[in-house]
Amino acid sequence: MAESSRADNRVLLLKLGVIACVMFAFAWALIPLYRVICEVTGINQLVKADAPAPAVAASDLAVTAAPVRLRFDATVQAGLPWQVRPLVGQMAAPRGEFVRVDYEITNASNREVTGQAVPRYLPAAAGNYVKKLECFCFRQQVFKPGETRRFPVVFVIDRAMPADIGEITLAYSVFDVPGQGAS
Amino acid sequence: MAISTTAGHAPHEHGKPTGLWRWLAATNHKDIGSMYLWFSFTMFLSGGVMALCIRAELFQPGLQFFQPELFNQLTTLHGLVMVFGAIMPAFTGLANWLLPLMIGAPDMAFARMNNWSFWLLPPAALLLLISFFVPGGAAAAGWTLYAPLATQMGMGMDLTIFAIHILGVSSIMGSINIIVTILNLRAPGMTMMKMPMFAWASLITAYLIIAVMPVLAGVVTMVLTDRHFGTHFFNAAGGGDPVMYQHIFWFFGHPEVYIMALPAFGIVSHIIPTFSRKPLFGYTSMVYATSSIAVLSFMVWAHHMFTTGMPATAQLFFMYATMLIAVPTGVKVFNWIGTMWQGAMSFETPMLFAVGFVCLFTVGGLSGVTLSVAAVDIQLQDTYYVVAHFHYVLVAGALFSLFAAIYYWFPKMTGKMYSEPLGKFHFWWSMIWFNVTFFPMHFLGLAGMPRRIPDYALQFTDFNRIASIGAFCFGLGQLIFLYNMLRSIRHGQAAPHKPWEGAETLEWQIPTPAPYHSFVEAPHVEAGDNGVIHSMTGGAHH
Repeated sequence: MAESSRADNRVLLLKLGVIACVMFAFAWALIPLYRVICEVTGINQLVKADAPAPAVAASDLAVTAAPVRLRFDATVQAGLPWQVRPLVGQMAAPRGEFVRVDYEITNASNREVTGQAVPRYLPAAAGNYVKKLECFCFRQQVFKPGETRRFPVVFVIDRAMPADIGEITLAYSVFDVPGQGAS
Repeated sequence: MAISTTAGHAPHEHGKPTGLWRWLAATNHKDIGSMYLWFSFTMFLSGGVMALCIRAELFQPGLQFFQPELFNQLTTLHGLVMVFGAIMPAFTGLANWLLPLMIGAPDMAFARMNNWSFWLLPPAALLLLISFFVPGGAAAAGWTLYAPLATQMGMGMDLTIFAIHILGVSSIMGSINIIVTILNLRAPGMTMMKMPMFAWASLITAYLIIAVMPVLAGVVTMVLTDRHFGTHFFNAAGGGDPVMYQHIFWFFGHPEVYIMALPAFGIVSHIIPTFSRKPLFGYTSMVYATSSIAVLSFMVWAHHMFTTGMPATAQLFFMYATMLIAVPTGVKVFNWIGTMWQGAMSFETPMLFAVGFVCLFTVGGLSGVTLSVAAVDIQLQDTYYVVAHFHYVLVAGALFSLFAAIYYWFPKMTGKMYSEPLGKFHFWWSMIWFNVTFFPMHFLGLAGMPRRIPDYALQFTDFNRIASIGAFCFGLGQLIFLYNMLRSIRHGQAAPHKPWEGAETLEWQIPTPAPYHSFVEAPHVEAGDNGVIHSMTGGAHH
C-alpha cells in the first residue's frame, strides 16, 4: 500500500503543479483575451460613432464662432531623459483657422535617444475635430546627446466641432523606443 | 504508512527531535502547524501595530504623527501583512495541525515540502518589513498595488513584489499538500461526503489558492517587467492599459476573499454543533454551498471596478452575479442557526467567538450586498463604508473564527486547558471594541470620507475619534489572548481526553495532548455526516 499510495501522491502533486503553471500562463493570456472578448462582443464600445455631422449652416457658424480655449501639456515616461515643454501653456484659437504652437524638446542625457510622442485630447471627443497638419508625433525622433530642438505643431480646429466643447487640452505622452538609439 | 517523504524510517524509529533542529528541519505536521500559528500571530501583532499607527494619525484632522507618504505605506503594509502574513498562514497552520487528525492520516502527504512551505514565510515577511527602511520606503500603492502607482514607486515596491512571489509559492505548496492529504490519505470509512466541514473547507480553499495565487504572481510579474524591463502592460503611453491591472488583480482578489472566509465557515461548522450538542444541520447543503461559493467567486471580480467606466451590460452582470453569492452564504447562516435551534447550548469561549462570528459576519455580508448594487457602489467606492465592510468579514469573520478555533482545539494541541474567565473576557472585550472601532466607519463612508487618507474634513472628527479609541482598546485586548495562551501552556490545568461534551469528530478520539506521531496505523472508522465518529477500531499512535 505504501508504494502505490506514494505513487498516487506524486501523480496528484504533478497534476496540481500543472494547474498552478497553467493559471500563471492564464494571467498573461488574459491581456489578449480581454481585447478579443471586447472586440467580438462589442461591449466596450462606450463611445458610439455618431452619424456624419450635418453640413453646418452659415447661421450656426456664428454661434460656434466663439474661440476655443486650448491648453498644452506634455509628460515624459519615467526614465526617458527628455524635457518636453510647450512654449505657450494656453491660448485661445478661433475655429477653422491654422493654429501653430511650438514645443521644445531637450535630450538631457549624454547618449543618443529615440522617442515617440502620443497625443491625447481632453475631452476625448475633441480628438476627431483637431486636424493636425504638422506634428513631431508623426514619427520617431532621434536626439543626439544634449541636443535641443523646437518643433512646430500646426493644426486646425474643425468648424463642425460641437459648440459645447469650449476647451481642449492637448497632452503629449513621450516614451522611449528601446533599441532604436542609433537608427 | 503512506507518507512519502519519511521513506526509510518507520515513524517509531525516531522520537521527538529536540532543540532548534526540531523546528528548522521539522517534518511533523504538528510542529509545522504550531510554527505557522505562531508566525501568523507575530504578523498579526505587527500588522496590528501598523493599524494603530493609522488610527493614531486619524484621531484628529491634520497631520500629527506621519507624513502622507509614510501613512500610505502603513495602510498598504497593514493590508498585505494581515492578508498574506496573518490570516492565510493561520488557516494553513490549522489545516496542518488538524487535517491529519480529522481524517485519520499519519501526517501531511509531503512532509518535507511542508517544511519548505513554512520556512519560505519568514524571509517573505522580512522582505515586507525591511522595505520600510529602504530609500523611498515601503510600497504605498494600497494592498491592491494598482498600476500605474505600482509601476512608479521606489525599490520598496520591488521588495514587495518578491515577497508576494515567495508567499505565493509557499501557499501553493501548502495547498497542494492539503489537497493530496485529503484526497489520498483518508482513513478507511472516512468518505468524502462524511468528511468534517473544516476538511471540506480546506480542500476547496486549497483549490482556490492553486487557481488564483499564480494569477497574482503573474500580474505582479507584469508590474515588475513594466518597472525594469521596458514592457508597457499597464502604461497607457506605451499602448498598455492600467485598468487591465485591476481586471487581472481582482481575478485573483475576489477568490482571495473566499480563501480567507471558507476555512472560517469550516471552523464554525465544528464549534456550533459541539456546543449545541446537535449534529450540524444540513451537512450536505453546507458542502454544496461551500463549493458553489467557490465557483461563483470566479465570476464577480469586476464588482470591485464599477467606477472604472465599464459598459452597463458588464455592470449588470457583475452586480447580479455578486448578489447571487448571498444565496449559498445565506444557506450557511441558516444552517448554523438551524443547528443552534433547540440545542442544549452552552457558551464556552469557542462558542462565544463562533456565535459572535455568525452575527458580525452577517452584518459584513449585508454591507457587502449593499456594495454590490452598482448604482450605490458609485457613491460608496473607496470610502470608509468599504473599510467597515471588509473589516466586518475579515476581523469579525476570519479572525474571530481563528480565535474560536484556537480556544476550541487548544486542549487537544497542548494537553492543557486555557483560562475560561480570561477567554470570555477576551471575547467580550474584542466584541465590544471591534464594534466601537468599525461600526462608525459605515457612517463615515456614507458621509463620504474616502479611505487611505491621512487627513480629513472636520465634520468626520467625532466618528474617527470613536473609531480610534475602539481600535486601541481592541488592540490592547489581544494581549489578553497572548497572556492566556502563554500562561495556559505552562500552568494550565491538565485537559481531559475530550474536554467538550459534544465534540464527536476524529481528532477527539485520540489521547490528549495529541501524540507526536498520531495514526501511524490508519484507523477504521464508521463516520456520520460532518465527520461524526460512531465507532473506531485500530489506529496506533507513538
